[in-house]
Amino acid sequence: MDAVLSGLATGFSVALDPFNLMLVLVGCFVGTLIGALPGLGPINGVAILLPIAYGLGFQPEAALILLAGIYYGAEYGGRISSILLNVPGDAGAVMTTLDGNPLARAGQAGRALSLSAVASFVGGTFAVILMSLFAPALAGFAVTFGPADYVALMVFAFASLASLVGKSTVKTLLGATIGLMLATIGIDANTGVPRYTFGIPDILAGIDFLIVVVGLFGMAELLTLVEQQARGTLKSLPVDRSFVTMADLAKSKWTIARSSVIGFFIGILPGTGASVASAVAYGTEKRISDTEGTFGKGDVRGLAAPEAANNAAAGGSMVPMLTLGIPGSGTTAILLGALLMFNIQPGPTMFTQRPEVAWGLVASMYIGNVALLVINLPLVGLFARMLTIPQHYLTPLIAVLAFIGIYTIVGNPHDLFMITMLGVFGWFLRKLDFSLAPIILGFVLGGLFEDNLRRALSISGGDWSILVSNWKSILLYVLALFVVVLPIWLARRARGNAMQDAESH
Amino acid sequence: MADRIFAAVLLAVTIGYAVIAFTVIRAPFQYDPLGPESWPRILSIVAILCLLYILWKPDAIGFDMTRQVWFRLGAAVVLLLAYSDLYEPLGFILSTILFATIMALMLGAPRLRAVGFGIAAGVFGWLLCVTLMDLNLPEGALYEAVDDSFQQTEEEGAS
Repeated sequence: MDAVLSGLATGFSVALDPFNLMLVLVGCFVGTLIGALPGLGPINGVAILLPIAYGLGFQPEAALILLAGIYYGAEYGGRISSILLNVPGDAGAVMTTLDGNPLARAGQAGRALSLSAVASFVGGTFAVILMSLFAPALAGFAVTFGPADYVALMVFAFASLASLVGKSTVKTLLGATIGLMLATIGIDANTGVPRYTFGIPDILAGIDFLIVVVGLFGMAELLTLVEQQARGTLKSLPVDRSFVTMADLAKSKWTIARSSVIGFFIGILPGTGASVASAVAYGTEKRISDTEGTFGKGDVRGLAAPEAANNAAAGGSMVPMLTLGIPGSGTTAILLGALLMFNIQPGPTMFTQRPEVAWGLVASMYIGNVALLVINLPLVGLFARMLTIPQHYLTPLIAVLAFIGIYTIVGNPHDLFMITMLGVFGWFLRKLDFSLAPIILGFVLGGLFEDNLRRALSISGGDWSILVSNWKSILLYVLALFVVVLPIWLARRARGNAMQDAESH
Repeated sequence: MADRIFAAVLLAVTIGYAVIAFTVIRAPFQYDPLGPESWPRILSIVAILCLLYILWKPDAIGFDMTRQVWFRLGAAVVLLLAYSDLYEPLGFILSTILFATIMALMLGAPRLRAVGFGIAAGVFGWLLCVTLMDLNLPEGALYEAVDDSFQQTEEEGAS
């Protein structure tokens, strides 16, 4: 407990530095803007702005604070387009449309927006508090992990990714493998042997992380926007003067509490972020509270549940990133890549070796949550006006931003071609129901996965049984099996129940 | 069908990857049990298994897009490639004005406004990024040439 308090003290001294404080506010504001834009979610926002943030030459903790602010700001802002347009900014905001949009159509847009802001705030703050309690303890435990345990941890991460993310397990697994394969390009650090470089000097050091991220998320998103452009325009509902009432809060307080817990713990699972969390929270809440069948028709609880959960998940997904070096979601995978660019290896030692970064980030999340609530309640009308920016101006701007970012960092016009081609590749993948987050996770974790596997086998002299020689790794393999089998079993059981129902009728 | 074609293309690439992993990559000497070739070998086998599964049981996904949308997408990619190609020669301001204007026009913006938007994106983008944030963006060969000759005349005048 003392460690937590002194850590928080360090963190707040970093985060309350006037410059960093300004970055928190700027990040939250920009993030909310990006989240509010239809079609753009946290992951695209962080991907497009990461190179620019890096190019500004800030201290690592300052850059990370800015990016994290954009991340949860966008998680907040996503609800605005969900509620007013019925167009979710990203997968995490899909569930918000179910009850949020009916409320807005019933002329209660202001009430829906303010209630969801409060739910987001509670979910986010709850997650940060749990994070500051759990993260140091988890990091302390993770220090005892050996290479074999890390291999098991990666297997667990990819297993939960494959089973919980995306529509098809095989496609998610393939996506992660593509990411891992991309990560093998470049000179092998252990032996100095070049792999898949084909004599091209530009990729001897590996494909630049920024290029993969901006290409797959920024440019692919742009092409998706171009594609959808031809299919009609969006209409925004007006923001009225209605506001959340105490009765609404009283009605939804347990919903918010339950959903925050669900969101946080699902967020911790490697690879599964806000989208899974909000879906599970909405489903659970519907089962528990939907006695009158009002869910989906503008029930305040149906709105509060996914919003509390997706913000709690954003906090939760930071936990494995900071303590284990394994990102909890696609967006935290990008943040992890950002840390690596600053030569900071996220992992169990980060809390002790770079406390100003780890704790500064945690403290900035406390401040950010409060700031988001404060700027979201009065300024929601301003953000809502962003929705009326026509797509034909927004789409070129994404390309301009992406180009600025990549050119600033890499300074090489060939990389501009690379991001365009990767964007085309990413667009095809999305069109074919691949989710892109596993690719970036695989790409970020590739080096770590391979190194630990090789190190473990070096320790054992080539004996593969070292991978299962420890209770920690065995436990992780069992958990991995569990996350793969459980959803299949649940689906079977649900189908079995449905069949029985059909027979009994 | 689209699924199968995509998987087949990826399979060809992956087989190439696997062939290199199994034949080309070799460390001249090594002490570790796993060399640089082992990990790519494992990955290529996993990827090939996944791809064979997709080929065997593809999802029914059609590209339900009209020819117009395909054309629009193709034009967007061509525009992006042209933008990358002209980024350095024309410089940030000119290339961005051109790109943003044409892209906005293509996506259905009114003519005058598209031009206004393009100029705003180029000029304000430059002011914001270079003047305010001190980022490094290309000035363009044209500006550099003018700048050089200006400096030369200045030097001549000084001497």
